[in-house]
Amino acid sequence: MSISAETAKEHAKDPAVLCCRAEAGITIQASNLEDPAIFDDLVDSNLLNLDGALKIEQVLGATLTKTCDSLTPLTADVLEGYKAEEEEAPAAAPAEEAEAAEEAPQMKAPAAAAVSGGVMKIHIGEGKDIDIELPVGFNGGAAAQVELPAGVQVPGAAPVKELEPKVVRSVTRKHYQITEVKRGPETKIEGTTLYIREGIEQEAIDSQELVHNLKIDIITPEQYHTYSETIMDVQPIATKEGDAEIGSGVTRVLDGVVIMVTGTDDNGVQIGEFGSSEGYLDENIMWGRPGAPEKGEIFIKTEVTIKEGTNMERPGPLAAHSATDVITQEIREALKAVEDESLVVNTETFDQVRRPGRKKVVIVKEIMGQGAMHDNLILPVEPVGVLGARPNVDLGNVPVMMSPLEVLDGAIHALTCIGPASKEMSRHYWREPLVLEALHDEEVDLCGVLFVGSPQINAEKFYVSKRVGMTVEALDVDGAFVTTEGFGNNHIDFASHIEQIGMRGVPVVGMSFCAVQGALVVGNKYMTHMVDNNKSESGIENEVLACNTLCKEDAVRALAMLKAAMDGEEVKAPEKKWNPNVKANNVELISKTMNQTIELVANEQSLPMSQKRKEKYD
Amino acid sequence: MEDLQILLRQHVGAPCRAIVSAGDRVEKGTLIAEPAGLGANIFSSAYGVVKEVLEDRIIITPDEEQKDEFVPIPEGSLLDMVKAAGVVGMGGAGFPTGVKLGTDLEGGYILANAAECEPGLKHNIIQLEEDCGKVIRGIKYCMEISNAAKGIIAIKKKNEKAVNSLREALKDEKDITIHLLPDIYPMGEERAVVRECLGIELETTQLPAAAKAIVCNVETLARVTEAIEERKPCFSKNMTVIGKMNGGNEPHVFMDVPVGTSVGTMIEKAGGIDGKYGEIIMGGPFTGHAVEVDEPVTKTTGGIIVTIEFPDLHGAKTGLLVCACGGSEDRMRDICAKMNGTVASVARCKQAIENKPGAALKCERPGICPGQAKNNIQFKKDGCEYIIIGNCSDCSNTVMGSAPKMGLKVFHQTDHVMRTIGHPLYRHLRVSKQVEQLPDGK
Repeated sequence: MSISAETAKEHAKDPAVLCCRAEAGITIQASNLEDPAIFDDLVDSNLLNLDGALKIEQVLGATLTKTCDSLTPLTADVLEGYKAEEEEAPAAAPAEEAEAAEEAPQMKAPAAAAVSGGVMKIHIGEGKDIDIELPVGFNGGAAAQVELPAGVQVPGAAPVKELEPKVVRSVTRKHYQITEVKRGPETKIEGTTLYIREGIEQEAIDSQELVHNLKIDIITPEQYHTYSETIMDVQPIATKEGDAEIGSGVTRVLDGVVIMVTGTDDNGVQIGEFGSSEGYLDENIMWGRPGAPEKGEIFIKTEVTIKEGTNMERPGPLAAHSATDVITQEIREALKAVEDESLVVNTETFDQVRRPGRKKVVIVKEIMGQGAMHDNLILPVEPVGVLGARPNVDLGNVPVMMSPLEVLDGAIHALTCIGPASKEMSRHYWREPLVLEALHDEEVDLCGVLFVGSPQINAEKFYVSKRVGMTVEALDVDGAFVTTEGFGNNHIDFASHIEQIGMRGVPVVGMSFCAVQGALVVGNKYMTHMVDNNKSESGIENEVLACNTLCKEDAVRALAMLKAAMDGEEVKAPEKKWNPNVKANNVELISKTMNQTIELVANEQSLPMSQKRKEKYD
Repeated sequence: MEDLQILLRQHVGAPCRAIVSAGDRVEKGTLIAEPAGLGANIFSSAYGVVKEVLEDRIIITPDEEQKDEFVPIPEGSLLDMVKAAGVVGMGGAGFPTGVKLGTDLEGGYILANAAECEPGLKHNIIQLEEDCGKVIRGIKYCMEISNAAKGIIAIKKKNEKAVNSLREALKDEKDITIHLLPDIYPMGEERAVVRECLGIELETTQLPAAAKAIVCNVETLARVTEAIEERKPCFSKNMTVIGKMNGGNEPHVFMDVPVGTSVGTMIEKAGGIDGKYGEIIMGGPFTGHAVEVDEPVTKTTGGIIVTIEFPDLHGAKTGLLVCACGGSEDRMRDICAKMNGTVASVARCKQAIENKPGAALKCERPGICPGQAKNNIQFKKDGCEYIIIGNCSDCSNTVMGSAPKMGLKVFHQTDHVMRTIGHPLYRHLRVSKQVEQLPDGK
């Protein structure tokens, strides 16, 4: 398609090709030229040979001397009055350019600037009886921020240091180790043994009209090579102490054991939409992903059978989750009842720290909300529980702000569905790497995590993304992350969120599984900073649980990229085709600059090969 | 004679309101319906009796004997008479001419659209060849009504006979000139006429008035003359009937066909359909739509085309390239279904703009291609074997620059018509978009 003058400027160094037939004598304008964005496809289809083509900046304003048809590269022999090629300074085109891609932040230590984000900071290192009266206090003062006119130097600012970080709230996790799970007459925890009451299955079945059967399997590491229906969710078993709410107070959690929800409908159809992870557990679980089990953990696996045909509707999967939660809830009660403090093997404290004066960032997490089976329960009473939670579909998928600690404390009960490899399980949020990295990074001030659902209808997608834009605008942040799970349909709103944030002048880094199969179907000019969550060898949704979800290595790259973006660093344009080396280069770049080793996680190639994978993928 | 069916909605705007009842006696020129909103008066096109007044049409049983006399419209100002006569744009859209001419052009232009751009149609050019005086007088009346200083007749250079008649007639008309157009579709698009004659490129939302111009079709101008000089109401239409007819595929031009006559009657007058056929199109090959034989002629019916049968694609995956120049997406889907193709992908020309949701598409730069390779890449990705395009000459040429090399087989939505009437298919462009103008437009 023809290009605008603006696009021609952006592509000044790209080859000039006529988009349409042009007659001899015309003056070449941008509207005569084909968009360089499609050249790769055209060259691949043998429709275009760019040999000898002049650059766009050379041909604009030149006169065509011969009538030429569409897709003719403009060469010296058909033009009069074109500009000579400019000598390029050798440094202008670094060698990496060819390999540049997805990302490639140029690392720069964020300046410990005296003036940051237009905030004027005054710090007095030592001193007594100093009275300062300013109309700018932080407690609802008239002007918390002083806008500095561009170019104004703040004299004497050099010795000024940052304001003190402030702990807003904390959550303490008490870990109880479980080494054995048995059935028994009552649900209880004795030492490191968890007993689950025999016969609880019937109560779970009876609790849900749509649930026709429910079976509990205790899967120990020796039994990992067991066939399972598709894994719908992996959940931590945790409970709040006393009256504490999610996101504060004390949380008790069982180590060494997780809840795993699996199931089919009456006809044996998997409760999964785009791919499913049924098969031998050890061949279909990407161990150690934030949302997946760790190798060595015991699974309390429910196999729920729901009414035929409800596997693709909202109530079916919800019933399977709710029935499973009857069992989990009884374990939570047992965990609450444990009085022996000696059973606590480890205590962790998470502080929500605000860092005034640092670059303020927000994480926007897009979660599924198409209805059907794509839903998430938000803010249950118990970590990853059901009771008290509101489905985001019922909330209209509008943005909901959470504290990072709520996220890490089980505020999201995920009703998983689409492509198992890219979908975030409930456990993912419990250990969400980006939230953890941003929370612990002393160079940024993480103000919150904004959850937004992904509705089915485009009009609704834009409705919610505009709310995201307004919310981010109101937050006055210096930068934002937008993450999504799955791929395809949800990329429409993913792109729109980025656009809504980007158009407000806020640097934004997008994170999604893309690679080959999840290549973005839409885009806009603000999607310049992207991190690909892919881990799979061939860049596909390989149906291995949680394989392509956001991991620490992605969070580290995203943070580095956002810092670069907030510093105004350019990120190289992506390559036309997925190239895993881009990620490798970026990781190396970050490791070198930050002088730390970034361990990359393994992918599906580390697992025993399943029949399905052999046939369908690898 | 068959019953006449006079539609209450003959063109753009709201349907008119009937003011006669069943049993009423009507004459040629009797006012039978009035506008209820944007619209124009509708008259009986025959002597007879109102048989039925339906929601969307008035049915009149005509007398066996028909006189030429008609009921004249009342005398008034020039503009009043154009309005009273119910003249509308006869090129296709049918915008009420009285409303259009109500603009003060402050010394601007009346542009006479004689492009007759839809291939196969001939009645406009024949009218100029036979009686261009009536059209020229129409231009002058319009110039007077809307305070225009100049008149320009836009006509394709290939119509030499008509151009010569005009040159002869315009010798002493100092304010009216001729602008020659290349033989390219869509030179007759209203905004293309403005651009070609005045060098002004209008936005898709702008009317020619933004360039101090009013564009009127040749036949419309003649009807203006009739309204003013003969006080004649607008109840008849000139048209071309062409296609797979007994006796050959030559055009049959009919002047003053009574509005309300059925398509079937017109086809019979032209010789009748020759054997099996594909479809009957009312209007032109690009912008017309498929109709049945009982469809009545309106004030905007310019063509009736009977086509050869469609090729059979045996359900193959087909891409549709929808463009402002050709049929709507619905029409393209209709053609694809008739060719037994399966729509696998739909793309829209980059320049086809939908001003309002659901409104007909308008081309940003009619006849000047914005590039089509990206659409072809889409079709290829969506697995299409065939594509059907509705593009103009220039865009079709661009499509041909990449589609066949990508292995896409190209049909143009007008192919079945072009094959029927022996016109070259719309594929590669072999003529220049530039034509040499007459000295001083004379």
